Amino acid sequence: MSEKITYEVGLGSDAVRQPQRIVFITRKMSAKVKEKTEPQLMSFPHVIEREAIAFQLLAIVMVVLSLFWDAPLEQLANPLLTPNPAKAPWYFLGLQELLHYFPPVLAGVLIPTLVILALVVIPYFDVNIEGEPLWAHRSRKRLQIYVGVFAVLFVFLALYDAWTVLIPTAVVGALGLVPYFNPTSDSRFQKFLASRSLPWWVMTWFIAVALTLTAVGTFFRGPGWSWVWPWS
Amino acid sequence: MATTAWNQQWLEQLRQTRVWRSIFRRGPARTNRTRSLAVFGNLALHVLPVKVREKSLSVRATYYLGSISFFLFIVLTITGILLMFYYHPAVPDAYRDMKDLIYVVSNGVFLRNLHRLAAQAMVVAVFWHMFHVFYRGGYKPPHEFNWVIGVGLLMLTLFLSYTGYLLPWDQLAFWAITVGTNIISYVPWLGRPIRFLLLGGHIIGQNALLRFYVLHCVILPLAAAVLIAVHFWRIQKDGGLTVRDDHE
Amino acid sequence: MPGEPKAPGKPEGKNAVSRRDFLNEIAGGALAVAAIGAVVVTVNYSSPNVLFEPPTTFRAGSPDDYPVNSVTYLQEQQVYIVRTDKGMWALSAVCTHLGCITQWKPESDQIACPCHGSKFQRTGTVQAGPAPRPLPHFALGLGEDGVLVVDKLEVVKETEILKV
Repeated sequence: MSEKITYEVGLGSDAVRQPQRIVFITRKMSAKVKEKTEPQLMSFPHVIEREAIAFQLLAIVMVVLSLFWDAPLEQLANPLLTPNPAKAPWYFLGLQELLHYFPPVLAGVLIPTLVILALVVIPYFDVNIEGEPLWAHRSRKRLQIYVGVFAVLFVFLALYDAWTVLIPTAVVGALGLVPYFNPTSDSRFQKFLASRSLPWWVMTWFIAVALTLTAVGTFFRGPGWSWVWPWS
Repeated sequence: MATTAWNQQWLEQLRQTRVWRSIFRRGPARTNRTRSLAVFGNLALHVLPVKVREKSLSVRATYYLGSISFFLFIVLTITGILLMFYYHPAVPDAYRDMKDLIYVVSNGVFLRNLHRLAAQAMVVAVFWHMFHVFYRGGYKPPHEFNWVIGVGLLMLTLFLSYTGYLLPWDQLAFWAITVGTNIISYVPWLGRPIRFLLLGGHIIGQNALLRFYVLHCVILPLAAAVLIAVHFWRIQKDGGLTVRDDHE
Repeated sequence: MPGEPKAPGKPEGKNAVSRRDFLNEIAGGALAVAAIGAVVVTVNYSSPNVLFEPPTTFRAGSPDDYPVNSVTYLQEQQVYIVRTDKGMWALSAVCTHLGCITQWKPESDQIACPCHGSKFQRTGTVQAGPAPRPLPHFALGLGEDGVLVVDKLEVVKETEILKV
């Protein structure tokens, strides 16, 4: 026992005597705990088996279809002759339909960029995480904003004659209003609609418009991008 | 099991040899310890968790859409590599090679059909997977960044499909790419330079075909492979797949 | 204790930087310069200096080959030679919307694009459809031997008409 040893103060091991705040969990940050312990399985063999079966089923379906469905090959590329109509691959046909109505900067650059940005930021907005039904509080202010946004959208679309975008927007917009005006309905469908959150409505609107545009671009557009009926 | 005692004995003896034990270290996966090692100690499989929640394995939980997207990527890689044996990314040759593959090469038409079908299917699967993950809330914390990686994978899938679309060098390919690259030139300020770099010139010709080929066969698949690895890894690290409550 | 190296102390002075931080900053800066340099070199490499593309200046025969009040499509060059009683001009056949090749429709006196339905007059003005700009006019000149010369790299105003 010669010199005096200096001690540094650190975290004590007695949490009752010396409580220390180590982490501060807010509602937003906590992982959702559904159950204390859930039944679990070993990945090997259970996951591996199921993935192997899924892969084999997929391979069988793909192989059978490839044996009967031939990929197209048109004539040699001719830079001097544009076929009529000249269509993009099907996953871009929705975009090409949009290009028919709006100037290329808007439909070709701005809208796709905004769509991608919107997708990327989805998880960072609280309203998307809470998942509250859109009309949970039957707020009049919310109704005003909803109707206002749709009115602006309608005017914009009507100005550009973009009725293939307008129609699915109108359908989804109308469906979205049903739970507000009919909150005590017994119908299972209306109860389902009433429980849907804002992100659900926005995504459903997006899918409705995208599907409509792609379907129109694929089946209803002919030479010169004119309207054709697919059965004619 | 229908194996005879003779078979099993032979297999057991093989497993005891030095050679076998130098390659396969863990022994048969009959205990939970060796089952854990089968995943944890494997280069490819350790991106998966050792245990999973039973709920996440049902078909209705995910429809296996993510797995299907990944498997289609595997199919595309294998068929793509095989197609590369006969395809020259040059202007008169490319179309000729397509005809070669369809009419002359053994099983060429099958491989080409499979490649194209898998490509279309992968675009569908990736979109469907994204929508399904959205609707079951799989983007909520702590999975936010994995969703962003997923959007990146969606972009890569579309770009892979698009670069591949040009390679047959037929009318369908040429004009689809003409329209697409002209849209790019509408990006303000950077549009024209990007189009010039992408095409290696002003027109869609030899340079464009070669660049799209390199993008399609090397750059984009590597980028996709890296993002896929991160995507799987994040699922494991963030606590497993998200399953909706009402799917019990 | 004497003989032992001293632990690095805090640097004194207002803007003082420790030696460690200084060296780290220098290294980081050098790496940043190298990274930016790598990107610039790669982009420069990827941007071709020599292009093997069809010539953009070409001869188009003598003016007499084109009757008055006609629109002639030169397929190889994707150019229309238009002649009216006022004179001649050369019009690009590439649609200004998204680059498809237009077609001259004499029955409706219009140049039509098959991709999205844009329609142009023989002056290049947009009559219908999503095309944002009129078809550009290319410089049309008369060579010494009386042969028409078109330069696709030189875009001229609509009002410039070659009088023949």
